[in-house]
Amino acid sequence: MNSNGQALLQVEQVSKHFGALAALSRVDLEVRDGEVFSLIGPNGAGKSTLFNVITGLYPPTAGQVRFLEDEITGLSPEAVNRKGIAKTFQITNIFPEISVYENVRVAVQSRSVEQGRPASLWRATDVRDEAMALLTTFHIAERADELAQNLSHGEQRYLEICLALGTRPRLLLLDEPTAGMTPGETRHATELIRRVASERALTVLLIEHDMSVVMGISDRVAVLHFGEKIAEGTPGQIRNDPKVIEAYLGGAD
Amino acid sequence: MTGVWFSWRIWAVFGILAVLPAFPFMTGYRLGLAFDALLFGVIAMSLDLLMGYTGLVSFGHAAFLGLGAYSTALLVERGVRSIWLCLLAAIVVVGLYALLVSYFATTRRGIYFALLTLIFAEVVYTFFRYTMAFGGSDGIQGLEPAQLVPGMPASAVDTPLKNYYLVLALLLLAYLVCRTLVESHFGKVLVAIRENEDRARFLGYNVRRYKMTVCVISALLTGIAGALYPIRLANATPDLLLWTVSGEVIVMVMIGGIGTLAGPVIGGAFFMVLQEEVSSYAPKIYQALGLSADKGVGVHLLIIGVILVLIVLFMPRGLLGAVRAARVRAPRLPAPVAAGGAK
Repeated sequence: MNSNGQALLQVEQVSKHFGALAALSRVDLEVRDGEVFSLIGPNGAGKSTLFNVITGLYPPTAGQVRFLEDEITGLSPEAVNRKGIAKTFQITNIFPEISVYENVRVAVQSRSVEQGRPASLWRATDVRDEAMALLTTFHIAERADELAQNLSHGEQRYLEICLALGTRPRLLLLDEPTAGMTPGETRHATELIRRVASERALTVLLIEHDMSVVMGISDRVAVLHFGEKIAEGTPGQIRNDPKVIEAYLGGAD
Repeated sequence: MTGVWFSWRIWAVFGILAVLPAFPFMTGYRLGLAFDALLFGVIAMSLDLLMGYTGLVSFGHAAFLGLGAYSTALLVERGVRSIWLCLLAAIVVVGLYALLVSYFATTRRGIYFALLTLIFAEVVYTFFRYTMAFGGSDGIQGLEPAQLVPGMPASAVDTPLKNYYLVLALLLLAYLVCRTLVESHFGKVLVAIRENEDRARFLGYNVRRYKMTVCVISALLTGIAGALYPIRLANATPDLLLWTVSGEVIVMVMIGGIGTLAGPVIGGAFFMVLQEEVSSYAPKIYQALGLSADKGVGVHLLIIGVILVLIVLFMPRGLLGAVRAARVRAPRLPAPVAAGGAK
């Protein structure tokens, strides 16, 4: 893709312990501007924990996270989002009892001029065009007035991405965006994500189980296993890495 | 600014309320009842900002009401007669107290938030109930009337009619404030917090700051209503601060229609009128049941309770919700084509 090689996100020696459990051990990661970087690994490898450390849900036990050279270690989720990092969730995480449009509106307005000013108490910026454009991209514009909870699973997965994109991120973290989708939906979603990423010059960090998605979309891949990074490289290199094959086949027993 | 200022329905309702005192059945007693009804309408509406829009249940609104009332009472007792100064004092006192409560309460969610607001309110109740300088259990009684305009003779203000219009003006103001607020950028974030506050944080919103802000706004509206409370009965008593009052305001929001602003106003007014009307029939009820008045105390309260339970059971969206649902269900003639699209 259009990676220009400049480091956007740097994860340096990050460890995260929950009591005696080392969920992450000294993980290093560098995501470059404009690339699609995938994080794979067996269940419990620490992928979601790493996302939660990057996005500010948990402070790391040790190590640093840098974004555009700024240290963001230990910032709150809202502060990390304001730096330009948005995240989607493995388990659909939307605003269920308001309309699809209202869902995206609240995301998009977070970047309007009123945000954080007293005027936000009595004014609301008209963000309809931007919100509807997002819904159109993800083929749910005709469902805009429906309550979000009434969307199908696949549509909710797309709404999830719309919410994240509504905050105009530079880096998008996708936690298994195709979870629960049929093979046909997965293919469609993969193409859509790739297209949107290149149109918006987005950098994507992706957690995915589906190898067809990972191999089709990624510029680079890193493999986590029991909280440690065991491999990193292009999809072709990863596919043939003996340690990765061991982790997936041997370690799965 | 939104379309709130141009909603004809609201102006029609306020128009009716404005001419209400002209009707012959509005005796001085009923005007006093209407005062209470509208006052608690304001309070229930301000709680709806928290309950209906933000998903926070405050069990401590009695403290905001009572602090407002005591601010006025203490000032008037010391010879400060201007109602405007009383309102200003209530805003300062209630605002500071609300900042303190919300700072701690917003660190917790759900039932713990409710309990923290309750505990703070109970501390305030206990303080006023047992501080003799503030009248202890009697509160502050026999206040001189407050004044709208300095130097104006007291009789010019202290009439049920003028009090009624004062609280009606507050209701109108509070409604416009609340309606503007919920339609604003801020209001949309409140609803997002109600729906899923964790997700709201990941969209870059400082959820705690939003919660504290809406708590203070809600408290101020209740406190301002509280500051007007003493002008009717010329007193402020610790009963106002009791947790049962907080519970009643929650009931008002529920029976009126949570998350609608107008609903809680209806709920507040309905609750006050119901309580008063059923109580006024109490002697007849005891007679019909063959009870003497002293043994029958509480039977009429049972009737109020049953009515409220029935409303909650059969009108889960409250009185306003039931009216709206009935309007949708009612068979309608096909609209003429020319009127299509106009709502």
